[in-house]
This record gives sequence, C-alpha cells and structure tokens, in this order.
Amino acid sequence: MVAMEKAGVPAVGIAARSFARAWQSCVDGWGQPGTAFVTIPHATTGQQPDYIHRMVDEQIDGIIAALTTLTAQTAVSGSNGSGGGGSMETFTVTLDDSPAGLDAVNRFFEERDWSDGMPVIPPTPAAVAAMLQGTRRAPQDVVMVMEPGFGLATVEKVAVNAVMAGCAPEQFPVLLAALDCIAQPEMNHRDMQVSGHTEAPLLLVNGPIAERASINYGTSAMGPGVVNKANTAIGRALRLCLINIGYCKAGAGDPNFIGLPTKFGMCIAENEELSPWPPYHTERGFRREDSAVTVVTVTGPTDILDSGSRTYRDTLENIASMMFYRHSGGGGWLRGWQSAQVGHTSKRVPYQGPYHPIMLSPSRAVLLSNAGMSKRATQEWLHQHCRVPLQDAIGGRPLPTDEAGRWQHHPELQGLAEDPDATIPALETPEQYLLFVTGGSTHYANFFYGTYGIATMPVEAV
Amino acid sequence: MQLQILSPAAARVDFKVPPARRLDTLAGKTIGLYQNMTGGADVAVDRVAERLAARFDGVRFERYGGDRRPDRPTLSRGVHIDEAEAAVIATEVDAMIGATAH
Repeated sequence: MVAMEKAGVPAVGIAARSFARAWQSCVDGWGQPGTAFVTIPHATTGQQPDYIHRMVDEQIDGIIAALTTLTAQTAVSGSNGSGGGGSMETFTVTLDDSPAGLDAVNRFFEERDWSDGMPVIPPTPAAVAAMLQGTRRAPQDVVMVMEPGFGLATVEKVAVNAVMAGCAPEQFPVLLAALDCIAQPEMNHRDMQVSGHTEAPLLLVNGPIAERASINYGTSAMGPGVVNKANTAIGRALRLCLINIGYCKAGAGDPNFIGLPTKFGMCIAENEELSPWPPYHTERGFRREDSAVTVVTVTGPTDILDSGSRTYRDTLENIASMMFYRHSGGGGWLRGWQSAQVGHTSKRVPYQGPYHPIMLSPSRAVLLSNAGMSKRATQEWLHQHCRVPLQDAIGGRPLPTDEAGRWQHHPELQGLAEDPDATIPALETPEQYLLFVTGGSTHYANFFYGTYGIATMPVEAV
Repeated sequence: MQLQILSPAAARVDFKVPPARRLDTLAGKTIGLYQNMTGGADVAVDRVAERLAARFDGVRFERYGGDRRPDRPTLSRGVHIDEAEAAVIATEVDAMIGATAH
C-alpha cells in the first residue's frame, strides 16, 4: 500500500486485528507511518464468506473515509525514525548487589524492546572493542541494510549484539558471515522476517572455523549445555541482530502467528570427521579446507526415528515418508521460480526454493554410504521418490499460461493435467534436499522444512 | 556501581513517503482491489466492491493479485507490488484497497 501511496494513489489496507502491530511496523519501515488500514477481528483464511462479509461490512465507512479524508493519522508522512535510539549511543546504568540491581541492565533493554527476553551480557565499550578484534572489517562498514526496519548493520552494531548474546571474538566472523548470507537477495530475508508463517534462520557451519570457534557438531549439538555455548551464542546473536538491527520485534515486525522456539537461534557445524561424504560447503563451490556458513530459512524441525530400518532403502523411505503432506507446497516449482523482493523499491529477484535440510546422524550417513549411496545418489533418490499428485500441485489456482494457453513453465507436463494418477517430484532438483551430517552417531535424522532462501558465504580468516 | 553500555539498535535508512492526495468522492472513480492470494482476501475485497457499488454511482473496479494480468508481475503474499508495477497501476486506478488474510 505504501508503494501505491508513493505512486500518488490513495490506498487503504484490510488486515486482521492481530496483525495491526505488524502492519504498523512495516509501514513505519517504509517511511509512511500513517498509511491507512482498517482491522477485522480474525484472519480470513478458512472463514466462510458470510462471516468475512460481516467483518468487512463493519469497516466500510472506515475504508471510504481512508480514501477520501486526510486524517491526522494518514497525514503523518514522517520518516521511519532514522537514528531514533539507533546511533551508537552510550548509556549509564546503575547496578548493585540487590536482585533488582543485578537485573538493571536487562530491565534497561527490556524497557526499550532491545532484547530477546532472556538476560544479556552488558555491551560495554570495552567488551564491544574486544569483539571487534575478532574481525578485520572496519567498525563502520555496513554489512547489510536489514528489513523490515531498514536498519544499518554496521560491524560495530553487530558486535554490540554479539556481546549481548554471549559470543566470543573468535565466533564473531561466523556471525558476520551469516549476515553476509542474509544480505544476499536470494535469501528473501524480508519474508523471513515479516511472514506470519513460522520460520527461522538455520546456520550451518563448515570447515576449520568450527573448531576455532568451538562450535559443537557432536552429541546434542543443537541442544542446551556448556558444550554448545558457541552454537547457542552465535544463533542467539543473529536473532538479536534481526530484532535490534532489522526491527523485527515479536508481534510487530515479527508477526509469526505462534512463533517458533528455534527462533531463539540455531547454529550447528557439520560432523566432517565422521561423515563418509564430502562436507556440505563443497556442494556450494568451496574447498574442503575453506570455512563457510550457510543460512537457510526453515520451519520445524521434525525428528525422524529410524530404529526399525534394516536396509538403506528402509532408511530413505522412512525419511521420505515424513517430508510432504497435502497442500504443504510440494510441486510449487510448477509455477516457475519464486521472487524475492529487496530494498525500498521492492526489486524482484528470482530464486530457487525451498531447500529442505535433512540433518543426518553420522550412523545414517554411513549406513547409506556402505550401501553404495553417495550423497548425490541419496539426493537423487529422494528427488525421485518424494512426489506429490500433479493435481494437488496445480491446486485451485490456474497456472500462468501464454496467449496460446500453454503453461508458461514446464509445458511438457500440461498433457498430464487431467490425469488423477500423475505425480511430480515435490522439489525441482535433487540438491534442494540439503543433506548435512551432524550430531551424535545414532539412529535418528532431523528434518527441517525449508521455506524461503538459502545462501553460503565464506568466513574470513582472522 | 555504574556501567556504561552501548545501544544495540541500528540507525535506519531514512525514507519519507508523503501521503497521496485523497479523493473528493468515490462516485465515478476506478478503484483497485488488491488481494495477496491469501485465503479469503479475495472474498473480502469482493465484498468491499459490492458495498461500494451500492453506495456510489459509476464506481468501477480493477482487480489485482495472482496471475490476473498477462505480461504483468504475479502478485501474491510473497510478491508484493513493486515500484514499477505501482507506477503502472497508478495509470489504471484512482484509489487502491488491499486485503490480506492475516
């Protein structure tokens, strides 16, 4: 709607009441805090038409008024609040040894909505300066402009958030590489941030940096505990950046309908020592000895118990059976590549997605490898066997066609459109099954459902 | 004990978008109806059209969302109206009403 207002067309939006703060957060970011909208009590998805009509009818006068009257609200053209609490301001907080005194820094952050809700390490100038020793980048270098708030992610600002999360300087390059990933247009970080769908960034670390940064890739690596301190701190630091730099605050910029516990942070390294396959970053063009971070946007995870399997085929069928349900979006590639939109002009960037990470315990990878299945062969098996009915993929929405009525994408499948038994691969390509060998060596796999983009970037050598 | 701490909140790129001029009436005007392909958003904007048509003489509607317009961008929950498409739509409508299921 802000794009229309910018083009000189008065506009008004209709949104569910629970999304009011999200709406306000978005239009704040876009520079028109007064963009008009009316709210209805509930989301319309799945509601009967009569009920939607009743909800809309109550807002008709408000819709008309928004298009014909410049109210005090819509007249607010202001800016998106550049610098509002955003410069490298320094504050002084008084602490003492009372319970309230010990919590003073946390209260200070909570009052400003600058926290993930858990206690933080105070980002003192000395602590931030020490964090900056973990990178060769200059403090004022801008890593990215983060949406929806269009916040400037300077290296220094990222360092402040890294300190708060409990990162050590040797972990800082991993966090910066993760932000480099999120800065890639094909990551579609806007949708990752503002979607009502539940998703979170998953950080996958490869190469020698995992040891240098003390990132656990063994037993319980994605769980709590002192052995996972680096994993937890890096994942958490990214979330704090998304909150404090991207202005993606729960209930506002982040309107996930229920949220995800994984949004607190997810970072894990590959168990390259026990994996029988080449590490993941080599699939993305890196050498084994390089260090790299992959960020992929996911929902989930789902645990896949594989204790009953006796052959590699049992294991693969077990994994495949967990991966798709009706109307989960499988076969969406039939409509062509998705578009990410970036920046204040909402430039479109096509990207292939989603990527579904399957975290295999080393024992599952060895089982497959011993049966002669390379990683590529495993991906191809999954690509071939994870299928959805073509008619489900088409759904109730016509596919885009050319003037002659031919499907714009994959016209070779059009002849099967009326065949109720026709199936297509759920994902377009084998590599979208992202196999990552990690954790302890047991009879489990974890499956994350990919939603938006993926990117892999190098970790600087410091 | 006093502790100095730094702000974790970023400075923001400063955009300023003034509001568009409002219409004197909707009578005789062309209203864009945009729904972002989320469930029921089409029902919501269709209802708005029904109610406005009953109230304003000569009001017309142009619909946007999904693949409705050949050779134009597909618009959906994940693909919003960009600046270029907004400029084209501005030549087709006098005002815009948008709905999302959320």
